[in-house]
Amino acid sequence: MELVRATSLEQVDGGIAIHGGTEVVPLLRDGILQTEKLVDIRGVIPRGVAGNRIGAGTTLAELEVDPQVPDALREACRLAASPQLRNMGSIGGNLLQSTRCWYWRLKYPCHLHGGDRCHAREGEHREHAIFANDYCASAHPSDVAAALLALGTRVHTTQRELALEDLYRLPTVEERELVTLAPGELILELELPPVDASVYLKAMDRKRWAFPQVGVAAARVGGETRIALAGVAPVPWLLDGVDGLDAATPLPRTAWKVEVARALVRRAVTSVAAK
Amino acid sequence: MSDVLLTVNGQSYSAYAPVGMSLAQLLREELGFTGTKIACNEGHCGACTVQIDGVPVLSCITLAHNVTGEITTIEGLRDHPLIEAFVEADAVQCGFCTPGQVVSAAALVAATPDPTVDQIRHQMAGNICRCGTYPRIEEAIQKWRG
Repeated sequence: MELVRATSLEQVDGGIAIHGGTEVVPLLRDGILQTEKLVDIRGVIPRGVAGNRIGAGTTLAELEVDPQVPDALREACRLAASPQLRNMGSIGGNLLQSTRCWYWRLKYPCHLHGGDRCHAREGEHREHAIFANDYCASAHPSDVAAALLALGTRVHTTQRELALEDLYRLPTVEERELVTLAPGELILELELPPVDASVYLKAMDRKRWAFPQVGVAAARVGGETRIALAGVAPVPWLLDGVDGLDAATPLPRTAWKVEVARALVRRAVTSVAAK
Repeated sequence: MSDVLLTVNGQSYSAYAPVGMSLAQLLREELGFTGTKIACNEGHCGACTVQIDGVPVLSCITLAHNVTGEITTIEGLRDHPLIEAFVEADAVQCGFCTPGQVVSAAALVAATPDPTVDQIRHQMAGNICRCGTYPRIEEAIQKWRG
């Protein structure tokens, strides 16, 4: 394996891009990612916050203390991972992280790995999805993605501009990839439209350093509130209003997540209404 | 295999290592800095914490060839008052997590000399102690200046 330190975006052609490495390195070590070439993109990805634009190379640690950043995003960063991981991990990379589904991480031949079944549906799925879980029941683990989704974030890549929800797609038999980036396409910046109030609330199995069981972000613009959830579907999930949870399809051992989500949604909506 | 040039605790080192080797492995096995511990080896537990340019990071999931800043390991904090504070507070049981705890705590007190309990709990959350000495670690950090 070779490591190339990119000094221009043109140099990023082929191989696997690496920024903080908190996801890429463990996946390489476990053999889930394989490559002959790593490209260190830290030198070519914008970093820092300027007005309502956030460089994709900005770390979660930088964002959790930045007063320019909307509450929901700052709180999502603060509640994510551990201090060391927040020091290392970039917000762009955070959006591209893979599921924590134990079957996927242990390389079971599941739908996402090209196999013909979802082991979680039939097996252990306590932490898994309550929406869109008929083909793959994995849960998307990004707190930050839920916050950015509620905030109505636009994503600027090396090739285009798109709404954050269009960065993701649900896996199907024809297309198992959950992210819509083309090969070699990199996230450069995130653009956050102004909101009047926002919040991120997170249920986890301990108070710190845990992935979301359920994360709820809410952002209010005037009388309109957008709600997005982490940990409830294979991709970050935009909820169709406060009653959106009525459409949940929990598995036998994930019904509890619906109740947790209801409580957090209620609190989040009340919170942004009062701010 | 290729050369890696690193600055560790103020000294320059070079080593010959395969791309993909972790910083933790290089520090321990090639450069002899065995104070840095490898426990989970997957970025969860914090035993391998070192500072790069003063910022705590996980050396077990940092690629040695990808390091550009100056590294501080527990050996570089030999004279830090936190060491005595950990002893005084009896904040060590089996001791395996202690180097990582001290490396994280040193960055915390450098930025925030008088941290509150909540600040300590927030900034130390990435260092897991399976002996459960957390209350004494907290005490050591609160009393680090003696």
